[in-house]
Amino acid sequence: MPAMSSVLANKSTRVILIAVVAIALVVAPLILPAFTNQTLVRIGVYAVAVLGLNIVMGYTGQVNLGQIFFVGLGAYVTAYGVNHDWNIILVFVAACVVPGLVGLLVALAAARLGGLAIAMVTIALPIVGVPLAKRLDEFTGGSQGTSARFTDAPDWSGLYNDQWQFYIVLLVTAAAFLLGRSLVRGKYGRAFGVVRENEAVAASMGISPYRTKVLAFTVASIFGGASGFLYLAAVQYTSPETLSFGHSISLVAAMVIGGAGSIAGALIGGAYYVFVPQLTNAIDPNLTTISQGAILLVVLFLLPQGLVSLPRVVRRLFRRRTSRSSLPGNPPQNSPVHQPATDAAREGLEKTERQDRS
Amino acid sequence: MAASLSLKGVDLHFGGVKVLQDVTFDVEPGVIFGLVGPNGAGKTSLFNCISGHYKPNSGSITISGTEVLGSAPYRLARLGLARTFQQPALQLHATVLENVLLGGHIRLPGWPVSWALRLPYTARAERGIRAEALELLNRAGLGWAAGLPAGELSHGLHKGVELWRALLSKPALLLLDEPAAGLSHGEVEQFIKTVRRIRAEQDITIIIVEHHMGLISALTDRVVVLDHGRKLMEGTAAEAQSDARVIEAYIGKDAADDAA
Ligand SMILES: Nc1ncnc2c1ncn2[C@@H]1O[C@H](COP(=O)(O)OP(=O)(O)OP(=O)(O)O)[C@@H](O)[C@H]1O
Ligand SMILES: [Mg+2]
Repeated sequence: MPAMSSVLANKSTRVILIAVVAIALVVAPLILPAFTNQTLVRIGVYAVAVLGLNIVMGYTGQVNLGQIFFVGLGAYVTAYGVNHDWNIILVFVAACVVPGLVGLLVALAAARLGGLAIAMVTIALPIVGVPLAKRLDEFTGGSQGTSARFTDAPDWSGLYNDQWQFYIVLLVTAAAFLLGRSLVRGKYGRAFGVVRENEAVAASMGISPYRTKVLAFTVASIFGGASGFLYLAAVQYTSPETLSFGHSISLVAAMVIGGAGSIAGALIGGAYYVFVPQLTNAIDPNLTTISQGAILLVVLFLLPQGLVSLPRVVRRLFRRRTSRSSLPGNPPQNSPVHQPATDAAREGLEKTERQDRS
Repeated sequence: MAASLSLKGVDLHFGGVKVLQDVTFDVEPGVIFGLVGPNGAGKTSLFNCISGHYKPNSGSITISGTEVLGSAPYRLARLGLARTFQQPALQLHATVLENVLLGGHIRLPGWPVSWALRLPYTARAERGIRAEALELLNRAGLGWAAGLPAGELSHGLHKGVELWRALLSKPALLLLDEPAAGLSHGEVEQFIKTVRRIRAEQDITIIIVEHHMGLISALTDRVVVLDHGRKLMEGTAAEAQSDARVIEAYIGKDAADDAA
């Protein structure tokens, strides 16, 4: 059967591809120049933050404009732990758990408010976070920020610092992506998707929209914290500037540009976050904001599903040219969103959400 | 175990609009029950009350003896309730298989952490439910569509996918809202066979809202006729079709007089 053999071929090419990428990633830092290693490290740092954002926003459809707050919180917790000589594993766990708990609390309150109210609450996070970081100077070092060196290569490794940092970031990023990928692929991934598209249907499947939103938000906060840990591993310094609102918006842009609702898109988003400012700076440092906006618009206009959809779009264009689609049945004219019955059911759901609160 | 359903004095108002008034009837376990009535009679609203999407202003609704009035709808799936929507509400970008798999949500074990870690028991459960969903689709003659985005299917097939999605949860009480609307004659025949097969194979109570009287006559053991939010009569499909009040409700008083 041709279909079967193509599936097998697909599977073995995939295994080979993964092996090649894995080997390349392990060997790369040993041969690449330090600057390239540092760039790749920063991609890993932001890819993890974008991954978390993608889970709550791309997959679950809950606007979150405060992801950078959790990145900053993770970075501060890391700095605090390192400067108090905590074990590095403990530091990492705390850098994930503390933002996770804060995210959980925020989500428990915010997910009760429908739609845009969640967005407003998340906007408040970095806006409150910056002055808070300045005030709590005992923990944060105030406006000057705080530094923590814990990722210098140990002597036994024989590595340079940039190489050592590369491996730390690679380890955490790979783990985060594997976990995130598994989460969005099964039971909970489907729950995220249906909560995004139709809460009334979600509820009729036994899925609580409220709990699902809280879960997605918490997961995003944990990944944000992990990203903050990696940020400190790479930059070794953090200040209130780290969690400024502008960076949060850039994370959202990176998520959408990479591809909302796509794990690979999160990685591309991380790369976008790092490369585009470099690129626009190289073009003209005075026009960075404008040229970043222009790039954003062009990509979204050409690829509304983000850069990750490029191969799919190219393939579809190619297929459309070679043969007209011959699928059975007609595409439905009715999108459920515009149907009165579903709208009515949605109204009903708001009542349900209120019910949930008790 | 097929569930029973009991409604007592269900009232539903939206502002001043009385959508349901004092609706009372019982559905015995294992029957196929019809809910009919003219457009706007309140059939879908009644389904929404049973499934928890609407909160009745007063009355009582019990599923197998458990009061569900006031429960959040997501809790009712665990009582064995499943439903379809009058306007199919599928995830158009997800595949047909993924859509059907949603119905398996409550049957899958494990917490988010165990799924993120892909613990063996979650992977096994996922394989099992996928095999079951594929089996359902194959038996329905929809195996070819499993991997296609749901948006590429016809309207008639959407209704089918919704039905299989609901059935994957192994419901004890299944609510079908106009499952035959927009289906061709052949598809309606096929649907009737499917429902008969489902009833023969599993212990389930089914309530069908439908305007297609042929389908109601062919499938239901008993019907309730709603009109303007009130129960007009209850009986067999044949009794309903020959009931003067029902004919009047459907075609208007003048026309009923002319026909007489
Ligand atoms: N959420 C709502 N808000 C206000 N009015 C509503 C709402 N839902 C339903 N109604 C009203 O309740 C009445 C009954 O509507 P419903 O959809 O239950 O009828 P139906 O019997 O299912 O009709 P059809 O056969 O056309 O599907 C209609 O007048 C409708 O406008
Ligand atoms: Mg209706």
